[in-house]
Amino acid sequence: MLRVIFSRIGSIAIVMLLVALMVFSLIHMAPGDPAAIIAGDNASSEQIASIRERLGLSDPLPLQFFRWSFAAIRGDLGVSIFSGVPVFGLIRERIEPTVSLTAITIIIALMIAVAAGVLAAANAGTWIDRAVMALSILGFSAPIFVVGYVLIYVFAIQLKWFPVQGYTPLGAGALDWLRHLVLPALSLGLAYVALIARITRTAMLDVLAEDYIRTAKAKGVAPHRVLIKHALRNAGIPIVTIVGIGVALLIGGVVITESVFNIPGVGRLVVDAISKRDYPIIQGVTLVFSAVYVLINLMVDLSYGLIDPRIGRQ
Amino acid sequence: MSASRRRFLQGVTAAALFPSQLPRARAQGYAASKRTLKAVMQADLRSFDPVWTTATITGSHAALVYDTLFGLDEQQAPKGQMVGRYGVSDDKLTYTFELRDGLRFSDGSPVTSADCVASMRRWAARDLAGQVLFQTVADTPTRDDKTFQIVLRERYGLVLDTLGKTSNSLWIMRKKEAETDPTQQITEIIGSGPFVFNRNATKMGATYVYDRNEAYRPRGEAPSGTTGAKIAKLDRIVWENMADEQTAIAALQAGEIDFYETPPIEFVDQLETDPGVKIDVLNKLGNLGFIRLNWLHPPFNNQKAREAMLYVVNQADVMKAAFGNEKYFRTCSSLFGCGTNMENHENVGWFEHGQDLKRAATLFKEAGYDGRPVVILQPTNLAPLNTTAQLVAEWLKQSGINVQLAASDWGGVVARRAVQAPPEQGGWNIFASWNPTSTFASPISFPGHAANGTKGFIGWPENAEWEASRRAWTRAETLSERQEIAKKMQANGWNFVPETLTGQFVAPVAYRANIKGFLRIPDLIPFWNVEKA
Repeated sequence: MLRVIFSRIGSIAIVMLLVALMVFSLIHMAPGDPAAIIAGDNASSEQIASIRERLGLSDPLPLQFFRWSFAAIRGDLGVSIFSGVPVFGLIRERIEPTVSLTAITIIIALMIAVAAGVLAAANAGTWIDRAVMALSILGFSAPIFVVGYVLIYVFAIQLKWFPVQGYTPLGAGALDWLRHLVLPALSLGLAYVALIARITRTAMLDVLAEDYIRTAKAKGVAPHRVLIKHALRNAGIPIVTIVGIGVALLIGGVVITESVFNIPGVGRLVVDAISKRDYPIIQGVTLVFSAVYVLINLMVDLSYGLIDPRIGRQ
Repeated sequence: MSASRRRFLQGVTAAALFPSQLPRARAQGYAASKRTLKAVMQADLRSFDPVWTTATITGSHAALVYDTLFGLDEQQAPKGQMVGRYGVSDDKLTYTFELRDGLRFSDGSPVTSADCVASMRRWAARDLAGQVLFQTVADTPTRDDKTFQIVLRERYGLVLDTLGKTSNSLWIMRKKEAETDPTQQITEIIGSGPFVFNRNATKMGATYVYDRNEAYRPRGEAPSGTTGAKIAKLDRIVWENMADEQTAIAALQAGEIDFYETPPIEFVDQLETDPGVKIDVLNKLGNLGFIRLNWLHPPFNNQKAREAMLYVVNQADVMKAAFGNEKYFRTCSSLFGCGTNMENHENVGWFEHGQDLKRAATLFKEAGYDGRPVVILQPTNLAPLNTTAQLVAEWLKQSGINVQLAASDWGGVVARRAVQAPPEQGGWNIFASWNPTSTFASPISFPGHAANGTKGFIGWPENAEWEASRRAWTRAETLSERQEIAKKMQANGWNFVPETLTGQFVAPVAYRANIKGFLRIPDLIPFWNVEKA
């Protein structure tokens, strides 16, 4: 097992190096001179040259890349071009809302989606199955921002049950924290619910057709025990896999959801940075998002062994 | 254990059974408190340094935190603000200023003449009008802690106007910050204005917090423009950076925010029907839209092609497509903006003639247009400019031009418009934007009024006669002299065509009906004197 972990960590390092190289190259291939953007319209060419020199933008690209990547390894992601604030500090300041939103979304989505998927599989071919599948198509088709606006209109403007926008830190009160996250989590989670529900249904249908399920039923095991203990556990690997892959979907959705609900998270940070061409922030956040995604996939890989001990032994 | 589980279940059941009872009380809590004003401004506050950046949002930030030596009243006349008494020598070469009593920075230190001189010098290194003023300044000696002078080499008619101007104003900082290299940002935000920036409560990119400056000493006169009493009637002002326009509208209607600086024009009708919301135009001069033509490359390195553009653009159509509601726009033929004191109607035959694509096609032919693609920068995330780019592209096609729209977000346009290389190597031919109309009124405040070639503003027009007139305008001592020079400038300007205009529009603001006291100042949203009922 340890060997597996170390080999995975090795491959993560290579992936992260490639990600860093790509992020750096893309940013530097984009048209325009960051020094000219910083200097503004009134700046003289001498002022632009001085800024370029100060930021090290006149140095050869490989040198700039090595300087940036070595600093990133030490946790120094540079400073924002415009605000002058360290990027690491900005990300740290914004991480709580994003983690909160993602965690609540995953919890809500798993609760709804797994139950819906199991229900659909257990009632395959009936109206329940068709209803769950129809709702999942709706979940896939409805854009996050449309769902968000509808939820805001109904639950915040008309019913006044929840706030329109904003975020309250967990430290300022759990109830208020939760109230600010319910609507965003529902908007963000809809596509995720649809995805997991469909995979759960398919995986469950495969498992329910296995001989050992028939044997369990023949032995008189209660139907819910057959579904949960015998079928769901064995359908776990595709579900866990899709939960991991779906995190990428969530990360993309977080960017939109945070904008619609005005949540000051990392998604908003990167959207604002892109519109301003604040390159250090774009680079830093992309790197952090990539690292999170790679780590989640590592956790998913390692969890296979827990779900199916045969994989662990191999 | 069982008791706490029961209590938990009771709570969950209560929330499930009576959701409509609980949220009503909650919803009241989401509204901003009476002593705090929550505002969504036009953009995120990228930088806190009003010298380092010309961004309007940073000007509004500076208006809260810092104060100015002079201000301009509603008639655009300069009046002392931090300066109490002042005078000018008989030869009009030495201006002497004395600071008011009791001026203090928010850290408790007194404002001294050394702070003022250092602030003035740093500002003059970046600001266009400041640079022009300081070309005539021989020295800025301090006489004592409260008195300083500006000694000129030659007469300059706009000393007080320049010190008091409302766009890219001269904000007074501590000497410590004012000695920062003007190409680098200041790191401490300490001013002597009516509010204090609260860095601890601020979250960069999300929320910016300003608290009332208890030590601020307002002037005694009634407020007028940026002159007179600046009274902080609120304890706290919070700027929320809200990216989504629909969310901001919903938050305003729900009372979660109090002020929205730039509600999209298509939502204004909807907001007008809400009794809890007021629509107002604070900046009556508004903004003037313009199209910059790249003088460095064909076809607009030829005067005939630039002249053709005057017949390509139909301002009324651009404005209608971009803003819809005719209440908020007008057409304008003056290079110095309409409604300003430099507005004039010299050499505007093209405007009176109106759009004429056949004539434009002939002029392009006379310019030797060879069919090469004309690249128009198209910012897809700014609806008015996106529409403008598409309309101009269509009109140019009808005039026989091979058009290429270069779509990107505004950030991409800002990056590309500075490129002087040919269009096929990442450059461009046409880009549209707008600027506050008040800046157009001064030949030295709007960067686009420079016609000094590649050293100047994007588009890089060059015209020696225009540049000489700009210098003459700054030396003129009376308003009527300046107006005469402005007429001559425009007569020449519409011959060499530094840019074309797309119309003038105002941007209404929206705020809760219980807010009052906004001052009508071009370029700034001042929150002093604003109160909440």
